[in-house]
Amino acid sequence: MSAMLEFKDVNFFYQTKAAEIHALKDLNFTVEEQSFASIVGPSGCGKTTILSLIAGLLKKSSGRILLNGKEIEENDWRIGYMFQRDHLFEWRTIWQNVILGIELNKPKDADKKKEFAQQLLKKYDLYDFISSKPRSLSGGMRQRVALIRTLVMEPALLLLDEPFSALDFQTRLKVCDDVYEIIKSEQKTAVLVTHDISEAISMSDKIIVLSSRPATVKHVQMLNLNGETPLSRREDPTFGALFDLIWKKLTNEKQTQNS
Amino acid sequence: MKNKLKTVKPPKIAPYSKAHERYLKKLRNDKIFVISFQVVILFTFIGLWELLTATKVIDPFFVSSPSRVFNMFISLVEDGTIWRHIGITLLETIVGFAIATLGGTLIAILLWWNKRLRRILEPYIVVLNSLPKIALGPIIILWVGSGMSAIITMCVLICIVLTTISMLNAFNSCDADKIQLMKSMHANKFQIFWKLILPNATDEFISVLKINVGMSWVGTIMGEYLSSSAGLGYLIVYGSQIFKIDLVMTSTVLLCLLAALMYLAICLIQKWHSR
Ligand SMILES: Nc1ncnc2c1ncn2[C@@H]1O[C@H](COP(=O)(O)OP(=O)(O)OP(=O)(O)O)[C@@H](O)[C@H]1O
Ligand SMILES: [Mg+2]
Repeated sequence: MSAMLEFKDVNFFYQTKAAEIHALKDLNFTVEEQSFASIVGPSGCGKTTILSLIAGLLKKSSGRILLNGKEIEENDWRIGYMFQRDHLFEWRTIWQNVILGIELNKPKDADKKKEFAQQLLKKYDLYDFISSKPRSLSGGMRQRVALIRTLVMEPALLLLDEPFSALDFQTRLKVCDDVYEIIKSEQKTAVLVTHDISEAISMSDKIIVLSSRPATVKHVQMLNLNGETPLSRREDPTFGALFDLIWKKLTNEKQTQNS
Repeated sequence: MKNKLKTVKPPKIAPYSKAHERYLKKLRNDKIFVISFQVVILFTFIGLWELLTATKVIDPFFVSSPSRVFNMFISLVEDGTIWRHIGITLLETIVGFAIATLGGTLIAILLWWNKRLRRILEPYIVVLNSLPKIALGPIIILWVGSGMSAIITMCVLICIVLTTISMLNAFNSCDADKIQLMKSMHANKFQIFWKLILPNATDEFISVLKINVGMSWVGTIMGEYLSSSAGLGYLIVYGSQIFKIDLVMTSTVLLCLLAALMYLAICLIQKWHSR
């Protein structure tokens, strides 16, 4: 498999009145085509910053960020970004929320994309709510709507910033499975930022462990667990050992940070 | 496209059990209790007012009385002058209200759009806001002349600064992540404003409308006190100058009714919007 996304010696600084904050330091990693990569790291280390750089919301200070071998540009529709909270617009119906991207960019194949949106809504049991407002949906349903809103523009690379952290545990497992299913069946490449090690292990082909700020890559773990769904992968016999390994890499980091 | 989509109706509210039925009944009884008390207070007030003045416990010359107010109203209706006064005051208020609300919102949009301009103008806005606008009365008359234009100007001045400040706050209080989301979907600034910032501020806009209804009446009446030859404010001043308290009271009551009606209209808009 070829690398779809590539970070080469990427540095990023936030400029504030008080100081210059070195957020990312000489960051190197790759994400393969149609694979699922997770980024874990201590709080405030720069995970969201990485996604914002990929999405073109921030400009890197130095280094190269390549998408399919070319520098990423602004307004690249190959990238879809899903935030921690669903950020559905309460004054819009579910349908109007889902087609927001189409409305903003008026693509030539808008009708085709709308049809695709309807298909997705039907497939994931949301079609009956198409003219309801977001407030009448549960947290899990809202998160699925947010994912569909991102998918409608047919991005090849999905960025997920802790999309499940606002959900309760049970819903979380279910939505994880749903989202994983959607991403795999739509053949997307995904980069997931998460605090939850078991979530990372159960969903990913690769886990990138970051150090505390300024973030550097501390460890890269390739995974190949048995099981079709994230939930079933949690049954894999190596799951526990992997958890310990990643946990050590992370906490080890935290100790050096404290001393 | 849209009309093909199925509508999901919310379930009808119906009693589900005895307990729920009791609960609904309690809600209804509560409401009846509150409304009946409101009516009782109103009629007691009117009744006492009539009684005390009729028995000369208090002098109707100074406080008028409900029957005098009623008779005054009838005679004003009969000679037809009242409609002109009501019409003029209503016109001034509505025009002032509309100019202030729209103008204030437009200025807020401009200041949201241009951060630098906002920072430059901030101290001036603060000073303007704390200034008692009535102090500008004589200057207004000098600049725009007396009469209706002065009154509308006063009304606008009283409402517009607060409208700008409230709407600007509402625009700026939009969740930064939602703006990021729009940007990640390649929205331009105009789209961010039109599809996110503005609809996100509708609740605040409605509360601004409600405040402005009250404030625009204050502005108009204040303006009419300053300089006018017609209108309810004029009637009040005129009535008190010739010691015709009946006229003062009648105009005040009419003012109350009109302000309440306008407030009610805004409430209807709100209801329609949040349905
Ligand atoms: N706009 C900003 N201006 C200045 N500093 C910032 C800004 N955004 C983030 N930072 C700093 O950069 C660092 C990395 O932030 P980032 O949001 O990427 O961390 P994160 O890993 O996503 O954290 P979390 O786990 O809490 O989501 C943090 O220490 C933060 O304080
Ligand atoms: Mg973050």
